[in-house]
Amino acid sequence: MLRHVLGLDMTRRALWLVGKPGPMRDYYQEDYPTLDTPWHAVDYLAIDLETTGLDPMHDEILSVGFAPVRRGAVHMAEARHILVRPTRPVPEQTAIIHGLLDDRLAAAPPLEDVLPVVLKAMTGLVPLAHYAPVERRFLSHACKRLYGQPLIVPYVDTLRLEQRSVERQQETATKGALRLNAARERYNLPRYRAHNAMMDAIAAAELFLAQVAHMDTKRPPRLDEVSVG
Amino acid sequence: MDVELIEIREFIAAHHPFDMLPDASLEKAAGSLRGLYVRQGKCLFQTDDTVDALYIVRTGALETRDPSGEMLARVGEGETAGAAALLRGGRAVNVVEAIEDSLVYAMPAETFHTLRQHHKQFAYFFQPAGGERLRSGRAVAGQGGPRGSGPAHAHLDLMGIHLGDMLKRAPVTIPPDATIREAGARMSEQSVSCLMVVDPADSGGRAAGILTDRDLRNRVVAKALPYDTPVSEVMTPDPLSLTADDYLFDAMLLMTRHNIRHLPVMKDGKLAGVITNTNLVQTQNTSAVYLVGDIFKRDTAEGMRDALEMVPELILQLVETGASAHNIGHVISSLSDAATVRLMALAEMRLGPAPVPFVWLAAGSQARHEQTARSDQDNCLLMHDSYDETKHGEYFRAFTRMVCDGLNICGYVYCPGEVMAMTDQWRQPLKVWKNYFSKWIDQPDPKSLMLSSVFFDMRPIYGNHALFHDLRAFVLKKTSGSKIFLAYLASNALSRQPPLGFFRNLVMIRGGEHANTLDLKHRGIVPIVDLARVYALDAGSPSVNTLDRLETAQEKGAVSKDGAADLRDAWDFISTMRLRHQALRIRENKRADHYVSLETLSNFERSQLKDAFSVVKTMQGALASAYQTGRM
Repeated sequence: MLRHVLGLDMTRRALWLVGKPGPMRDYYQEDYPTLDTPWHAVDYLAIDLETTGLDPMHDEILSVGFAPVRRGAVHMAEARHILVRPTRPVPEQTAIIHGLLDDRLAAAPPLEDVLPVVLKAMTGLVPLAHYAPVERRFLSHACKRLYGQPLIVPYVDTLRLEQRSVERQQETATKGALRLNAARERYNLPRYRAHNAMMDAIAAAELFLAQVAHMDTKRPPRLDEVSVG
Repeated sequence: MDVELIEIREFIAAHHPFDMLPDASLEKAAGSLRGLYVRQGKCLFQTDDTVDALYIVRTGALETRDPSGEMLARVGEGETAGAAALLRGGRAVNVVEAIEDSLVYAMPAETFHTLRQHHKQFAYFFQPAGGERLRSGRAVAGQGGPRGSGPAHAHLDLMGIHLGDMLKRAPVTIPPDATIREAGARMSEQSVSCLMVVDPADSGGRAAGILTDRDLRNRVVAKALPYDTPVSEVMTPDPLSLTADDYLFDAMLLMTRHNIRHLPVMKDGKLAGVITNTNLVQTQNTSAVYLVGDIFKRDTAEGMRDALEMVPELILQLVETGASAHNIGHVISSLSDAATVRLMALAEMRLGPAPVPFVWLAAGSQARHEQTARSDQDNCLLMHDSYDETKHGEYFRAFTRMVCDGLNICGYVYCPGEVMAMTDQWRQPLKVWKNYFSKWIDQPDPKSLMLSSVFFDMRPIYGNHALFHDLRAFVLKKTSGSKIFLAYLASNALSRQPPLGFFRNLVMIRGGEHANTLDLKHRGIVPIVDLARVYALDAGSPSVNTLDRLETAQEKGAVSKDGAADLRDAWDFISTMRLRHQALRIRENKRADHYVSLETLSNFERSQLKDAFSVVKTMQGALASAYQTGRM
């Protein structure tokens, strides 16, 4: 684990050293919290993306929602929902799912204007998502495309945490049981009707707080026990 | 905040008192929140912690306990915790723990205080004492003030209008030695249907008699009396009268009962005017008054029972037209009075006149003018000290038996505690009653006090009122000085406490009990009635009606002005709710009871009820410390 810590830290430091001045370098300048920090001493940014599909090479980000978690609480005041103008028309199926209509998206800023805002909000915070690979791949790909560097950062993945919790109880998790709403129900969390990136980010943040509260450990879990590299 | 927090804003907007905030403030409030997750069994804060937020339950439930561990309140979805600490500058006195896994929104203290400053209704909601809030809430609901000063409707005006307000002109008078011809001319010239006969030599301004157009027809024309006969020979001497402070309703009852059409009204001992039945008919024709007239026409208890079958319908009508609980109590009790009086008249017809003077006393809710749907009978008989058991015992035994049996047939069922005139113990001459009261007051003990408190609410119904006034003066003289008796009475008044509050659809009661229904009588009304009794006896006030008692006790300083006003509002609110509940039950052909199911209450009503309870709790607390009842 120590090696892993050094590895992460050194990679980020290296990227900062070689980076060009700009949003990416500013992001890497700030230290990521060390992985042995107790979970509640860490600040998180719950983040959710709406995309046109699942392949970062071909699909586009349509909106970003985020909400910070500080000192064990979701701060609604800093929650944001930002639409992103795609370069190509949105496939019809996706538009139906997200309710993001072309004309609203057409008026939105392009990704190069949105990404700096997201990176700034993420600086010094641990990103958190329900099924983090999507956010990880899309954001990293966008950073590479716009700033020439990947986004190397461990995430908290509430789906992984849920899977672990279910497996610990020696049950096999069915796919549906790990969905955001199904997982929330197990913790007596309300069902949100609205589906947009911001409410999903808030929903994931609340789920995370519930999951941590239910970890029956003698001491509060450390960051490396709730995050994935 | 992002406008898309709509989901969170809508949640708080759906709950009281946030529902009273304008959209802009709601938006700001929602945007200031922090979401927390508290696992079951974990504390949100403990005694002496600093509280920096108001906690709003989104899902789950919280429980407040005092430092000794006693449960004080439970809150569920949409309800809040921590306000008391915030109002105390942030220091927690109690412990708040999650009793279920809970998602809680924390509203920063700053937002909370800003909302309080800008929105009066919001501030009222969190005030420690509920009285002000109850009033402000009632104003919101448009229910009007405590005595039902709401929609002006015939029924409620009956009790709202004093006779003094009805007098349109000074009485038209004539001296007793004037002739009938002069009287007729005066009536025609003034276009009145009656003259008050006043002796100019009598400086007191009393009415020596009354002369009506009916008298001219029946006593003069029909008997062919000469027109120069003096008025004094055909007038009705010493007419029945009421005072300007009496209610219009009382005048209607008296006129119906005696079949008279004109009633002199006195003010400060002087003749102030005349109420005629034309006045009354113009004001209204109410079924309550009709019903009283009907009762007086019946010759059997069964007949009266049939007449009284209209009572539930009458209550429905009164409730629907917005009559206040105070008015309705008065109307319904007056019907019981009428039945009692009629039964006694019938008993006297069968048994002959009573051998010694007596007075029939109503006790309990009838005495207080607070009856609702028909209830048990509580009564007793007070006889003159010339009463001799061997000579008169049989008469009064038969008399009271006849009346109590009759009341039972009418639907005023026998009192389970046997507080009835037909019970030997409660049918006694004045000296024995004085002994009873001396014992209760001089050597109080909790058990006998519980039984006897009903006798501290008595009202004469029929017979020699002077006997009762003698007893009452004796009792009040004793009670107003007796600190020990009052302390016992206070302790008794504290034995029935209002609920702590509600949790979901349960009524939370001290000591962790809970119930599915709320007993409006024993948990709501009785505690207020008990408090008012202590204040009134402390103040030496002869009033028995709860609102009257609060008013006179306040005038005499036995209770604070605010405290009395708060209790009046609480009594009115809970009583009105009970009447509404009973009216609905009656409509569904169910027995009128005192139990409301929480599912039928709106959030607003629940919060109003909680305020009413908090008023009672506050006043009980004040009474406990004033009398140090903890030492008993």
